[in-house]
Amino acid sequence: MSNWFLLRSRRWTVLTILLTCLTMFFVGSIPAMADDTISIGVILPITGREGKPGQYQKEGVDLAIKKINDGGGISVKGKKYLLKEVFYDDGSDSAKSATLTERAMSSDNVTAVIGGYSTALGEAEAVMPDRHQTPWITPGAGATSIFSHGYQYVFGTLSPIVLLGSTTAEFLGNLVDQGKLKKGLKIAMALENTDHGIDYGNGIEQWIQQHPGYFTVVFKEKFELGNTDFSGLLQKVKSARADIFLSDAHLQDYITMHRQYLQSGMHHQMISYGARGPESDARKALGDGTNYIFAGIWWSKSLSYPQVQRFINDYKQFTGHEPDSWYPATAYDSVRMLAAAISEAGSTDKAKIRDALRKVVLKDSLLPGAVLKFGSNGQVNYPFLIVQNQPGGKVEIVYPKNGATAAPIAPTP
Amino acid sequence: MKTGNAFPRPAVKSILPFVVLLVLLILPAAGLSTNITRLLFTTFVWTITSVAWNLVGGFTGQVSFGFAVFYGLGAYTAGLMINAGRDPCFSFLAAAGMAALASFLVGLPTFRLRGPYFAIATIGVTEAVRVVMSNLKLTGGASGLNIIERRTFHQAEHYYTALMAVALAVAISILISRSRFGLALRAIKQDEDAAASLGVNPYSCKLWVHAIAAALTGVAGAIHARYFPYIDPGGGPGGVFAFQTGISILLMPVIGGIGTVWGPVLGGLVFGIVEEELVVNFPNIHLLLYGILLILIILFEPDGLAGLLRKLFALFRRSRGDSGGQDADQVLWRSGSVEGREL
Amino acid sequence: MTLEDFLDPLISALLLAGIYAAMSMGMTIIYGVMKIVNLAHAGFMMLGAYFAYELFQRFHIDPLLGAVLALPVFFLFGMGVHWLLVRWLPKSDQPTLASLLLMFGFWLVLQNVAYLIWKNEDRSITTSYTLSSIHLGPFYISKVHLFVFVAAVISIVVLQIALKRSWFGRSMRALIQNPYAAQIVGVDDRKTAMLTFGLGTAFTGFAGALLAMLYSFSPDFGRPFLLRSFVIIVLGGLESFSGVAIGALILALVENYSILIPHVEASYQPAISYGLLVVVLLFLPKGIAGLLERKWRAG
Repeated sequence: MSNWFLLRSRRWTVLTILLTCLTMFFVGSIPAMADDTISIGVILPITGREGKPGQYQKEGVDLAIKKINDGGGISVKGKKYLLKEVFYDDGSDSAKSATLTERAMSSDNVTAVIGGYSTALGEAEAVMPDRHQTPWITPGAGATSIFSHGYQYVFGTLSPIVLLGSTTAEFLGNLVDQGKLKKGLKIAMALENTDHGIDYGNGIEQWIQQHPGYFTVVFKEKFELGNTDFSGLLQKVKSARADIFLSDAHLQDYITMHRQYLQSGMHHQMISYGARGPESDARKALGDGTNYIFAGIWWSKSLSYPQVQRFINDYKQFTGHEPDSWYPATAYDSVRMLAAAISEAGSTDKAKIRDALRKVVLKDSLLPGAVLKFGSNGQVNYPFLIVQNQPGGKVEIVYPKNGATAAPIAPTP
Repeated sequence: MKTGNAFPRPAVKSILPFVVLLVLLILPAAGLSTNITRLLFTTFVWTITSVAWNLVGGFTGQVSFGFAVFYGLGAYTAGLMINAGRDPCFSFLAAAGMAALASFLVGLPTFRLRGPYFAIATIGVTEAVRVVMSNLKLTGGASGLNIIERRTFHQAEHYYTALMAVALAVAISILISRSRFGLALRAIKQDEDAAASLGVNPYSCKLWVHAIAAALTGVAGAIHARYFPYIDPGGGPGGVFAFQTGISILLMPVIGGIGTVWGPVLGGLVFGIVEEELVVNFPNIHLLLYGILLILIILFEPDGLAGLLRKLFALFRRSRGDSGGQDADQVLWRSGSVEGREL
Repeated sequence: MTLEDFLDPLISALLLAGIYAAMSMGMTIIYGVMKIVNLAHAGFMMLGAYFAYELFQRFHIDPLLGAVLALPVFFLFGMGVHWLLVRWLPKSDQPTLASLLLMFGFWLVLQNVAYLIWKNEDRSITTSYTLSSIHLGPFYISKVHLFVFVAAVISIVVLQIALKRSWFGRSMRALIQNPYAAQIVGVDDRKTAMLTFGLGTAFTGFAGALLAMLYSFSPDFGRPFLLRSFVIIVLGGLESFSGVAIGALILALVENYSILIPHVEASYQPAISYGLLVVVLLFLPKGIAGLLERKWRAG
């Protein structure tokens, strides 16, 4: 071994570093509970697999809080309270997500928590609200299972994914009625192996069962999340010789799969990746290859409500970029629902806020239908929008008709 | 023989763990915050896995990347049983049993392999199990498993369960290290063939210590699952079968001091506390800090924290003018290996 | 199943095998000479991908050229990493836990540095030919896959030649066979170790740049490839170069064909690859290379 002095100084270095770490344990985060603030916990991933959408959702939350605070805050029984955000990045780690939620609810003593992007993180966090009797709203998890455990303090601003599936099928059925597609077409489904994918598949099959004669499903298989190579799966889809290809995937997988789809010269009359399609990252990666893909999403910036325009302007000013897909909108409205509930409850008592959340109605919601209300199981139920990527880099709402900005192009040329 | 003036004095050394245990026992009653109780709970759970892994990796020198399998299986077993209405204690035992059974299934084929082949085989097994569990309808497939317990939540209950479990794990570790079985394991670690020629059956010893370690890890997974009642089978971080989980489990004994008894405990402690604090305080660079910490420890103090402490005590001893004697509790503090820490 | 349905996966598998082999070469080189299982392998591939990406975005340099440029850059980088971190490891002729965890820690550092620089977005490299394919009868062969395959094969061949002809190459192989004897014969093991690490890193960066042409990537990139590399080098026999090529081919074939097994869902596919790994380890502990060696020796 080398010089004894060098050895000793190395040990001290390590020891100092370790002691510093342990000291942080005691410093921790001491919540400063000022008299006129209400603290809200925000647990979202901004790093890791779900970091991108998580980041967007956080921006939506931050913007909403800023707007409320700029207007003086929430008024509770005449007194104004500012909102204070306690944010933790769960790094797309479900175990951390649960831990951090509990931390926010117990030691940080937040009044409510907004968080849980994606089913896994949502499920993990969803056990904490009832345990600590703190309301929890998820702007990013739409799986029905989270809302079917009988939890009392759990709410979500995403419509159920089963509805996404059935809306997709309904849209396709509509095209058949219009004569744009023939009857009896064959559908191939490649679903990601998660609640999201399974719910989506169920939604489509439910609709098909209720409307016989429209479509038949000739292929339905689940694939593993985060796979890098889909050529085998696409091979199977090719062999199924279907007319319509429906998939449900996360953003990364969508891009990879579609790239390989294009490379293998595949073609279907209609193609969708579930809730994915218009994302700018996909446009950047695949260019015109994304044309004609349609998606069922929870919100689009092409919605013509005035509050949507205002939101888009505010968002652009706040973040410097346009809203990507639907992510920030549901987060924004989660905060507004919470603020409205606190106001109506007239108190910062969590049980009262929960009761208020059950009753509150947001009349200028950004989301389709413009009226937002939580259902009896805590989940909202507003209609989905079907958007389609059309040539020229445009993303148009093609369904339902009374909100549509353009006609759907079907079948794919 | 113990020299009277070695620091810390032997009497202190043997009493210290009991004192710590006592302190930990009364902490919640003394009004510990929910946050710190949870932190300690998580630390205890990780320490159990750390101590357990060390039995196989540290004492016996078989580096397995596959302990996440037992952790996850324990979690699922307990989860399914609790959902079916069984008593939690019984579920924990079932988890231990299931994990031990799995350890035989894994160990029987893989323990015939040596060195890095064994390590890589364990990686293969973990990934295969993960994929299967993500697809099995019985366990909820990729949606994971939710444990529904129709009881009020008492944090203290979970705390004490974890505390008892970790005390048990450490006790088992001490017992093994002082027994003939422990000696056999160390012999296998140093030179498997030589040990065999002396009458030790390496294959069977490896299988048994693996089973004990797996059982303990399974219990850890079960206890954790009962507290955070959602089990995620995915491959992302937080998933019980994730590659990262397997790495975390073996990281702790290495940080603490592989092959010793108290090293893994220190490692579990540091990991549990540092990990959470890093994430909370430095959300953007916690991976970086964690990686640097690891590198520093590997390069400058490969014997881990235990080695560090030992050298510190030796430093004090020397500065007090005492001639440092060879403590008989070398067994507890030294890794006991003659050469470098081999795989 | 038609002939087309049968041949399609074969073509995909062949194309994939090339890049699989190239990416595992780097790991084999480092393991063979230094007995270090390089967990930072994934990190280097990720950096290689970003390297090609930056060159493409800023200077419009085609990623194939970018991959070639990656070789010297990563060679120096690898030597730097060796000088800074790896040379302090206690030497051993068995892989050590310390080396494993050191490289793992370094991987975490690389991941975080990449986050800080490039944030979380999924990047991809889309050249003018990325989405186009060559049409051969009923088969579509994606151009990028073909280019990557050719580049990978050329690089492996060049590597083999260089190893056989150069003094460095022979020193490396000597160290792989018997480090003590090699030193007696005059091989400077420290210098060779540094050069070896550089070479392994260079190859890995190169492979990463090629992979960037096929897949999108983020700082998390590389983990599934890391695991695949493990499978491949074990299949091939941890220290053999030709074994790596065979192992890569076998894995690619298994991956592509196992998906077609009826009644087994595509989501089970990785389990089959890993199952293969375990089975091979049990029956062919020295991998394919061991099997070949035995056959060769038997006559």
